[in-house]
Amino acid sequence: MSVSTASTLSAEARPSPEPRRWLRPGAVIDVLAHAYVWFWLAVFAMPFLATLFYSLQASGGQGGFSLDAYVYVLGSFKDNLLLSFETTVATIIINLLIAVPAAYAIVRYPIPGKSFLLSFLNLSLYTPAAVMGMSLVIAYAYLFRIPQTITGLIAAYVVGTFPLMLVPIIVALRDLPITFEEAAKTLGANRAQSFLRIELPLLGPGISAGILLTFVIIFNEFLVTLFVAGPGTTTAALRVYTLTRTAGFQPSTAALATTMQLVSFLVVLLFFQVFGSRYLKGTYLI
Amino acid sequence: MAQAALENEARELDGTGWLARLGFEERTWRGLGLLAPAILVAVLFSLIPLIYLVQISLTEKSSFFFNASYTLANYREVFDRYQSTIRETVFLATVSSLLDLVFGYPFAYILIRKVRYREFARTMMTFPLFGTLYLAFGLFYILLPNGPFGSILARWDISLAPYLFSLPATLFGMMVFTFPFMVMNVGAALSNVDPTLEEAAKTLGAKPWQTFVRVLFPLSWSGVLAGFLMCFGWNLGVFVVPLLLGRPQEQNVISVVMYDKGLVQFNYGLAGALGVVLMALAFGVSWLSLRLSRGALGA
Repeated sequence: MSVSTASTLSAEARPSPEPRRWLRPGAVIDVLAHAYVWFWLAVFAMPFLATLFYSLQASGGQGGFSLDAYVYVLGSFKDNLLLSFETTVATIIINLLIAVPAAYAIVRYPIPGKSFLLSFLNLSLYTPAAVMGMSLVIAYAYLFRIPQTITGLIAAYVVGTFPLMLVPIIVALRDLPITFEEAAKTLGANRAQSFLRIELPLLGPGISAGILLTFVIIFNEFLVTLFVAGPGTTTAALRVYTLTRTAGFQPSTAALATTMQLVSFLVVLLFFQVFGSRYLKGTYLI
Repeated sequence: MAQAALENEARELDGTGWLARLGFEERTWRGLGLLAPAILVAVLFSLIPLIYLVQISLTEKSSFFFNASYTLANYREVFDRYQSTIRETVFLATVSSLLDLVFGYPFAYILIRKVRYREFARTMMTFPLFGTLYLAFGLFYILLPNGPFGSILARWDISLAPYLFSLPATLFGMMVFTFPFMVMNVGAALSNVDPTLEEAAKTLGAKPWQTFVRVLFPLSWSGVLAGFLMCFGWNLGVFVVPLLLGRPQEQNVISVVMYDKGLVQFNYGLAGALGVVLMALAFGVSWLSLRLSRGALGA
């Protein structure tokens, strides 16, 4: 071991080193270690790639590729996709209106029983989706009188994901020194001005992380939706589920599933490019 | 303007606002005001529905919606006829989470200590998090006899088809879904372990397995525990993976039975009782993990 360390040191010192010994035991272990990581990364992507492959296969004939299945995505699935986008955007907006003030209060104000309150707000995160779906079906039918409506769907999404919005904003707010606010106040800004012009821009990455989490989860949510949605409120993810259960394994379903995953993945990529993964620590993703 | 802000500040500091007379100081009331929408949503759409679920589990069939007749029969039925379902759910969640630990620990270790393309690995790890539905869908296709690898594997007389609708396929699907949670938790714990400790163990003559058992594992224990409980909690609520990849008679989980009883057969009482059991299991696990981690946010 000490020999190999010495050789790496000398290799660093001189620009043109002696030929490296590829077959030293450390190198073999390194190759195996990287192969192990790549194997699992391939496993993660494999279901998506397989679905993509299937969606591109030409119908009927042997071999050949076509985009025929994607005609359905813009055809009979268009309404489902639009509903998915609408409910997701509505959920994100409501989540922001709820989570930003709540996070601000939790970090900056003296609230009695803060940790208990946080656990209570996170209640829906600990509830299995099927239990949440079942309990909402009962409450919607019996108390709120909104069964199978878009209102009910969005309410279910909001309660399920606003805690995920809360966490990254709390993290970002904790990182933000209170001196910024104090400086703004000293310079004559009132609370609203200092919040809108100083803190909100600085909280950007945290808020974006919350938006990302909400988007990825709600856009692909099908289980609570399965319980709560009605005939007129079938989201795209629920459509994938019902088609798989009723129509068997169709290329058109694969095309819709591929589209959904592709959109989600592009959003994640965009976020990682702009903000990195720092603000997602301690949350659902990473 | 500045004058007003200062006066405002002064009033807050000695707490002489009208709100202060209600017991808390004024800033507390303002904070609670900012929290009000969040609390309202959680009470209306989380707490109240769950209370209804408990109440409906104590009523007969769908009588809750007409004139409720209260009974404990649902729970008796759950523990008689559906005991195997509960056991199967816990079994699947336990084994898949253990598999996560066995395969995820080395993955997290390599990722933290050796890998430079960590950002790329994180991006790829988001695929399972898009949900179990696409995961089960893709795995289903891979296992079909005419799947993407079908013709290649046929050359070696290997067929994946026997694994479609089986326990291994179900466990594999559940495991892949929760793999990132394990890696995330173990990775967080491992990145806090100083690499020099491993080097010290080596210098003192410890073999690699001794270093692992006596240094690395004890130091990353909190991450292992948190990761296991998180995977277990998610896997308890599993729905679509056993439905698509398992055998309906054997891989029979609480969520699926609850859906069938409630929304297909309209036996709300029984579905409620199954839901309460699943909820109790899930809350128990969450409580344990919060207890052991002392709250991830440390609030």
